[in-house]
Amino acid sequence: MSLLEERKRGLTDPEMAAKIMAEIPDQPLDTQRKMGYYVQPRGKRLTEYEIMTCYTQPTPDWISGGLDWGDWTQKFHGGRSSWGNETTEMLSSDWHEHRDPAGRWHPVYVKAKGEDWRVLQRFMETFSAEGALRTIDPVWRDEILPKHLGALGYSEYGLFNAHSSVLRDCTGDTLRSTFAFAAFDKVDNSQMTQLVRTFITKIMPGYDDSPAIGKKEWTQGAAYKSARETVESMWQDTYDWNEVMFATHMIYDPLFGQLVRREFFQRLSPAYGDSLTPFVLAGMQTYFQTTKAAMADIYHHCLDNDKNYGGFNRRWMHVWMEKWLPSTVAAMAEFMSIYATLPTRDGFTDKASIAASVNRVVEDWIVDYANKIDYKVDQSAMVATILAGLK
Amino acid sequence: MAISLATNAATDALALNRAPTSVGAQEVHKWMQDFNWDFKNNRTKYPTKYLMANDTKEQFKLIAKEYARMESVKDERQFGSLQDALTRMNAGNRVAPKWGETMKVVSNFLEVGEYNAIAASAMLWDSASAPEQKNGYLGQCMDEIRHTHQCGYVNYYFAKYFHDPAGHTDARRVRTLGPLWKGMKRVFADGFISGDAVECSINLQLVGEACFTNPLIVAVTEWASANGDEVTPTVFLSIETDELRHMANGYQTVVSIAHDPAAAKYLNTDLNNAFWTQQKYFTPVLGMLFEYGSKFKVEPWVKTWNRWVYEDWGGIWIGRLGKYGVQSPASLKDAKKDAYWAHHDLFLLAYAVWPTGFFRLALPSKEDADWFEANYPGWYDHYGKIYEEWRARGCEDPSSGFIPLQWFVENNHEIYIDRVSQVPFCPSLTKGASSLRIHEYNGKKHAFSDEWGERMWLSEPERYECQNVFEQYAGRELSEVIAELWGVRSDGVTLIGQPHVTKEGKLWTLDDIKRANCVFKDPLA
Ligand SMILES: [Fe+2]
Ligand SMILES: [Fe+2]
Repeated sequence: MSLLEERKRGLTDPEMAAKIMAEIPDQPLDTQRKMGYYVQPRGKRLTEYEIMTCYTQPTPDWISGGLDWGDWTQKFHGGRSSWGNETTEMLSSDWHEHRDPAGRWHPVYVKAKGEDWRVLQRFMETFSAEGALRTIDPVWRDEILPKHLGALGYSEYGLFNAHSSVLRDCTGDTLRSTFAFAAFDKVDNSQMTQLVRTFITKIMPGYDDSPAIGKKEWTQGAAYKSARETVESMWQDTYDWNEVMFATHMIYDPLFGQLVRREFFQRLSPAYGDSLTPFVLAGMQTYFQTTKAAMADIYHHCLDNDKNYGGFNRRWMHVWMEKWLPSTVAAMAEFMSIYATLPTRDGFTDKASIAASVNRVVEDWIVDYANKIDYKVDQSAMVATILAGLK
Repeated sequence: MAISLATNAATDALALNRAPTSVGAQEVHKWMQDFNWDFKNNRTKYPTKYLMANDTKEQFKLIAKEYARMESVKDERQFGSLQDALTRMNAGNRVAPKWGETMKVVSNFLEVGEYNAIAASAMLWDSASAPEQKNGYLGQCMDEIRHTHQCGYVNYYFAKYFHDPAGHTDARRVRTLGPLWKGMKRVFADGFISGDAVECSINLQLVGEACFTNPLIVAVTEWASANGDEVTPTVFLSIETDELRHMANGYQTVVSIAHDPAAAKYLNTDLNNAFWTQQKYFTPVLGMLFEYGSKFKVEPWVKTWNRWVYEDWGGIWIGRLGKYGVQSPASLKDAKKDAYWAHHDLFLLAYAVWPTGFFRLALPSKEDADWFEANYPGWYDHYGKIYEEWRARGCEDPSSGFIPLQWFVENNHEIYIDRVSQVPFCPSLTKGASSLRIHEYNGKKHAFSDEWGERMWLSEPERYECQNVFEQYAGRELSEVIAELWGVRSDGVTLIGQPHVTKEGKLWTLDDIKRANCVFKDPLA
């Protein structure tokens, strides 16, 4: 950097600038000034998101949509490819087709999350100044949040880790940024479950914010056995990057994740005087909706509708449904056991309210996920299976 | 905690404490290391022969939201400068033509490194077991997305404002045409993501970032600024602020494996291979881009190289890792020899195949030649004379029908491509250390230009099978290949690559190339 300061700059040093100007032609040498003019825009015109992202992945043409030719210049020990078609069962006519409906490239993404952070910090200052903690039911605060918001943190953290191999292996650039942002939101969520409890400790010294309580629930509690095993299996047993993402974002998270975040914490917090948790969870739900739209673009708009391989892909998605749905439903049923540990609240913890809440999750999922790929689900049977877990 | 206790605590505390309070990133981060849990199959999908310790910490203790806030502050500054002051000053156009061409390559090729580093950091995040170490790699994964987009933005900006937008607009499509691309992929793409995870970390973080990031990112800003380009420093210095995290990650990788006996066995070999891999491409390519791709010179490349690669990296940085058993690579000596002439050798070849570029090249001017001779005594007798001959034969003028590649054929100077590094070399004309070795394997011939790469291939030939441009294009006429791989401008006939950057000079078209009737030939066939 010292050199930079000492040296004369070609833009500002009059003599150098004059020499440069003398070499610049009066007219530009080409009329095409649009970077990425050859990229197929999703909408009417190419967006900055598309320009920055599309074809950054340097794959050869034998991986559909790639612009390069030939082999990889260095491979794994033993000769496995850097990237390859064999890393997923899905087939695509163009791995560069996906577009994030939110048009996120890096600055767009960090700006939004940075704003969320500032808003959250202002909220915490207000919450503490108001003494709003006083209204929270002590059982909810001292039992439920440490155990179950803590356990949710582990679920989110496991899902986050399920993305690492996906980010290594996936074969498209727009895919890679969508998966990366989804991953980052998941680790953020796990950190935010910790933040809620750490915040309470700060305004209520003596409150135990260690994650150990939630970890114990998650690893040993009966309420999370299937959830944990499902997450572990997505994270470490599954090598197909599309299967990992499909199981995570098209099955487990919109069912189990939504049941816990929206229908448990969001719905019940007001009944226990808790205005802190719903505020933090509102951020997670925003991320969920953004991710949902992006994943729908990948699995519904692109892969299910692929002009050559749509039918083939759909059959695989059905296979993955068969594989991952039962353990997800079991996870939801086991989670029902928690209701018995809550102080009762009419209109919130009675069986009818719980049934209605489970129905919302299942129905949303059937409409937004199962129906989209024509996967048949018996809604009332699924709801009944879940509700059978109520103690 | 028992309810009654907590409730008492609450009552006491709340009576006292209603000061506005919030939570800082560090207060959340301090629990990070507890976010993991053990389970049966908790192991990485990318095996490494090393063992990464479970308790490895990270140096930059960020949580997701704080990361986002910090990066968006940097973005505001960067985009503010670009879109406001620099645009009003027309800074995107007031750049020395040669340098504006150089940035077509620099920004796009760096982008490839950044993009592959996303996948590389993700692989490391997968292979680390400590949550803090995972978090460090995750931060890098996000940074590399940022850098990918930033590099893209430099080309995007120049596409809008520079007087020759071709190549800035379509580098991602046309870059595969020329002979520099595959070598680029070896160092900055496959070398980061294909192999033992720790070996990849050594390539990416310990060598790519700790060693060549300085010359690449910082030195580029100095050359840019001298040549009127303030766009590149605005972006690249912002990239550089994230790189500390990545070098720290590389350091932590070594710390995490240091106690494993495998480290003593393999680490120095892997480091030596990684160093040679990276330097084999970057030493000549960076030197060439700086010295031959600029109007105003900053300092001889050999000086930059000695300071940053040899002294700072080979000495200080590696020295700091000495307590973990890391030694300066054995190949550093050979690399030092190459740092003097290798980039001059490469430019000779790069210029000879200028029609396959996505940038305009220029023969050294009289001023350049004097500078070269002053800084590299002996330059004129070996290289300068050849350029004079080419110029005299009209290599810049489309009506001459002369492409310097033909001169190599006429004079029996065979051009080979090293199988491992994919870097072209001409054994009969080289002043650097390259020398020809040929091996046959499975009925196919492979050329190599140095002992270190040859050794890598001999022990694992299945890792280096990529065909080179001469094999791929053999038997085909040059203009045909150019047209097929999108090497033309928006008029459909004028080449993107040109052999000069003068205002007066005519631009070559596909027809001009066709008249020269250059047909590719594979020297190994
Ligand atoms: Fe980077
Ligand atoms: Fe980096």
